[in-house]
Amino acid sequence: MSNNVIDQSKDITILELLDRVLNKGVILTTGDIVISAADIDLVYLGVKLMLSSVETMEQLKGEKAIKEK
Amino acid sequence: MNYPLIYVYCLTDSQPELTHYTEAEGLQLLRFDDLFAVVKYVSEIDFSEENFQKHLSDISWLENNAWEHVEVITRIMENHSVIPFKFGTIFQEGTGLKKFVGDYAESLAENFLHVGGREEWAVKIYCDRNSLSDKIDELSEEAASLEIQIRASSPGKAYLLKRKKDDLIENEMDRICKKYGQEYFDELNNLSEANRLNNLLPKEFTGREDTMILNATFLISKSKVANFKNTVDRLGKKDENFGFLLECTGPWPPFSFIYIKEKQQ
Repeated sequence: MSNNVIDQSKDITILELLDRVLNKGVILTTGDIVISAADIDLVYLGVKLMLSSVETMEQLKGEKAIKEK
Repeated sequence: MNYPLIYVYCLTDSQPELTHYTEAEGLQLLRFDDLFAVVKYVSEIDFSEENFQKHLSDISWLENNAWEHVEVITRIMENHSVIPFKFGTIFQEGTGLKKFVGDYAESLAENFLHVGGREEWAVKIYCDRNSLSDKIDELSEEAASLEIQIRASSPGKAYLLKRKKDDLIENEMDRICKKYGQEYFDELNNLSEANRLNNLLPKEFTGREDTMILNATFLISKSKVANFKNTVDRLGKKDENFGFLLECTGPWPPFSFIYIKEKQQ
């Protein structure tokens, strides 16, 4: 495939992706749409991501510590 | 199988060929006069409001599905102009989507005109303040002249002047970041048809040591994309040793340049 965002996905933070697909594009909030509640607070998400990456880091550290023993 | 909900990826104003991946991914094309919607029928089990909300709090589900959303649209836009929908836009089967396309025909046409033949590129600029601080005497006359005074002073006075210089460096770095950031932005913006500035992301979110000083999105004519990318490379190399770094991603579906005015009900 050509040089596109998918190829660069490893370098793109999930936050950049989500900021784009959740906050931009055609956004409908009323009318005939079934789900309008996909309003995710990015700050909330960011905090969650941060926590999950801290968890991952802790896990990695833990694994390393176990190996070193 | 009964899938009563329609998940919308994007609209196009010419007919996309879906044959290669239709079967594998369940993508379908709906036609509304001159416009085409790339959609997927989804089950209420995954996409009822309640279940969708549950999925959204699952980061890995969200990441996978958000990527899939972008990936499908990216493939379509290789050969067609697209109007991307926000992730998770679901219509009930039947007339909902048709009504939307009809009601917003004028606005959709304007948007196609705006994004047609153009691509969305994102540029983030970072500054490593440690590198910048090391080079500050080259960029700031005030800092340089203070440095000369420090070297010519007695140890006691030099100590006080150094503390003064530390404060000055912080202010000068802010000033230099603004000046360089603006220069980069202006040069890139000259090649673009439109721009949009996004919030700066804190270090916790970028996972980087350096500081984000600009987070911008540009709409670039396809004929200028090569020039745009070269310019990003050139600007990035130019001031690398001062700690500046430009990071460019794209082409994205033109999410940032779609403006659909919702009609008053």
